[in-house]
Amino acid sequence: MNKISGKQGVQIPEQFLVTPMFVFFIIHSMQVGVGILGFEGYIAEHSGFDSWISIIMAGVFIHLLLWMLYNILRDSGGDIVSIHRDVFGKYIGGFFSLILSIYFLLLALTVLRTFLEVIQVWIFPSIRIEFFTLVFLMLIYYLVIGGFRLVTGFCMISVILTLPLLLLKFFPIDVGSVNYLYPAIEHSLTDLLKSAKATILSFLGIELLFVFYPFIKHPQRSVKWAHFGVFFTVLIYLATALVAFIYYSEEQLEHVTWGTISLWKIVEFPFIERFEYIGIALWVYVIVPNICLAMWGASRIPKRLFNANQKLMIVVYCAILYILTLFLDDREIVEKINTFTSQVGFYVLLYIPLLFVITKVFYKVRNQHES
Amino acid sequence: MWKRKRGREEAKKEKELKTHTEQTIDSLFNTLAKSNDFKSYSAGSSHYIVSYLKTMCEPKLLNQSILPILTKYEVYTLAELKNKLPVEATEITKDPAVVQEKMMKGYISIQLRENAPDVLLLPAITVEGREVSIPEVEFSVVGPKEAFVESLDKNMNLMRKRLTLPQLTLKEVSIGKITKTRVGIVYIDGIADPDNVTTVLQRLEDIEYDQIIDSSFITQMIADNSTSPFPQLLDTERPDRAVEVIVEGKIVIIVDGSPHVLTCPTTIVEFFSSSDDYFLPWPLASVFRLIRLFAVFFSVLSTSLYVAILTYHHEMIPEELMSTIVSSRADIPFPPILEVVILELTIELLREAGARLPTKIGQTIGIVGGIVIGTAAVDAGLTSNVLLIIVALAALASFTTPVYQIGNTIRLIRFPFLMGAQLWGLIGVSMVMVFYVGHLIKLKSIGRPFFAPLYPLRFRDLRDAFIRLPFNKQSERPLQTRPVDPVRFNVRRASEKRDVDE
Repeated sequence: MNKISGKQGVQIPEQFLVTPMFVFFIIHSMQVGVGILGFEGYIAEHSGFDSWISIIMAGVFIHLLLWMLYNILRDSGGDIVSIHRDVFGKYIGGFFSLILSIYFLLLALTVLRTFLEVIQVWIFPSIRIEFFTLVFLMLIYYLVIGGFRLVTGFCMISVILTLPLLLLKFFPIDVGSVNYLYPAIEHSLTDLLKSAKATILSFLGIELLFVFYPFIKHPQRSVKWAHFGVFFTVLIYLATALVAFIYYSEEQLEHVTWGTISLWKIVEFPFIERFEYIGIALWVYVIVPNICLAMWGASRIPKRLFNANQKLMIVVYCAILYILTLFLDDREIVEKINTFTSQVGFYVLLYIPLLFVITKVFYKVRNQHES
Repeated sequence: MWKRKRGREEAKKEKELKTHTEQTIDSLFNTLAKSNDFKSYSAGSSHYIVSYLKTMCEPKLLNQSILPILTKYEVYTLAELKNKLPVEATEITKDPAVVQEKMMKGYISIQLRENAPDVLLLPAITVEGREVSIPEVEFSVVGPKEAFVESLDKNMNLMRKRLTLPQLTLKEVSIGKITKTRVGIVYIDGIADPDNVTTVLQRLEDIEYDQIIDSSFITQMIADNSTSPFPQLLDTERPDRAVEVIVEGKIVIIVDGSPHVLTCPTTIVEFFSSSDDYFLPWPLASVFRLIRLFAVFFSVLSTSLYVAILTYHHEMIPEELMSTIVSSRADIPFPPILEVVILELTIELLREAGARLPTKIGQTIGIVGGIVIGTAAVDAGLTSNVLLIIVALAALASFTTPVYQIGNTIRLIRFPFLMGAQLWGLIGVSMVMVFYVGHLIKLKSIGRPFFAPLYPLRFRDLRDAFIRLPFNKQSERPLQTRPVDPVRFNVRRASEKRDVDE
């Protein structure tokens, strides 16, 4: 009985749906954010240059989680709000959904604040954050009120636009030394796992599927695209990490905060050099869909929960983001938010297998009851 | 209070207008008689009353075919007279509305006596208009050299002679409370999506305005987002292009009195394709199209990149290039943004002046502006010659767009980019670009996505977007129009391969 009402609540009119192929772009652009600009240092902390193995391990783990996600969603046929309502009841379930909403907001905050940090460090040390953030959030608002289709379109544009940046990896490979990678696999499994845990934070984002699943036309056909998306992310991380390892020595890497951006610095053309300016400017296209998706997901949950006006929710969330960004105006605090979000994100990811087991049992029991 | 009063006055005026239209034939003639070109006199042996608007009627027809008959025969009913007259499509009516409509178009009315209720209407329309001439806005070196003119009927003729298909349908509505302009939509029944046809018809019928002078009025009125700088209907003056899109399943809107027809639904990439693209072999056409696209990006972005890099990121310029720029900018007292704004405004001035002046003077203005002012500005140390080159190239590049309207858009949208560049350098430029991409994704043309085939990604339509693949690869009509019959031709038969020496 509950199931039917839950399903009806998430019927999305045809014109707002996206084709399965776009799940590739959504998943990929939700995963790649600011993390990739400087994640080499983090992951090499525990297992040095062997941590590329950790990336693969983390990737496999994410694939597994994605499979579970699709399983949960297929069984319920709705989104996270209806699943929570089914499984935990109206109040506890609603509370959990709300936490997820706040978590998405936290993701947006982290990405936004870290990107501002990048701008402050690399381009404009004395930028007037309050004005810039205001304009940036207005832009985000303009895009998010365009709805899920627009945000999806932007994800696609962003992926296509930033792909050429990968070509720049040839410059560091040219001057780097492959020998740095040897001897391979000299760290223990625990070290590798620690690195893998650190890596997982760069893979956060698949949980957004909980919210946008009903927006996919023939959702189950999108499974392969979602997996492609994750796979593509793994490949890009792997390439980025390997290039960084080839270029930097292990000691150097410890002191480099923004590995990838530093690598852009060495790019030189006859008419342009110091490519990091262009790189960071283009990175706006990675950040914007990332924040948009997070904001859309965050504001979608209250709409589903309390039938709240989504436009209003976006305004409220943008305002919260704005105020928080102004307060968190310190390099150390930015670092802290990143670690905090990582921790939270890790637990959210761990929640997926838990929910997987719970829903499996729940729907089995209910189906038996019904038949 | 005042408002209400005004409202009441307006209502009164409207009522007056209405009563004017709901008049008797007699009062119609009285109204017309106030105008000096209205002629009404009794003629012939039976003293028929012949009335017409002198400026709208063909005098030859009146003198040679109508008046001789009237004087020759004496008849007692209009029906009798109708049979005697050697004029086609005559009509007898009592309805004052019909009489008014026809007479305003150039019909001659004949009554048996004054104030008689029955009126015989004879078509003697003469419409002054331009002859069909060569296209001036969308000129092409090869290909057809006919352009639309200001008459709906002639334009329809230009299209129909290229497309002799009974399914080619013209649906006419009259729009404009005062001008009652004839507006027609043309499509092929059985290819065009009926939904599109209904949407367009409905939007046309919903137009509330007193005058429709040109098709550009319609563009703005039925656009999905009328505040956008991007035109959402494509206008063309080439009948060949119009027919081409009709065959693709699109809908063409023709407006009487406008030499430009509108086509819809359209996409952003269509604004950068010219008819020349189809007259050239496909590899050439594709390369030219890409060059044109590059030109657009260059035109929009070059000056803002100049501002961004010179204001904030001079580290990006390699040393050798830097010395060139430094030497050209050494004496300039202004920051880059001011320099750019001065030059851009100069170019805009030249453009406006050139467009408003007769062709011959226009050329002179171009030379005076381009060479004299440009060189003088550099010599005086107001702008650097590097920037002069960039701005001139950008202006040149914006002229490469085959559709005039999008050229205007490009002219305008570079200013927000300049602002972004001045505020936050390359990041600012990026953000303005984000805004425009978002805006383009949001835009719709008659309810169909304007940013297609990029988003929604349609590989089928990409075959004729940035590059143009050969004709035998374009076996399907674009998905954008949702054609009822998507297949253009039989691919199998077209691509039948023959072996060596067969």
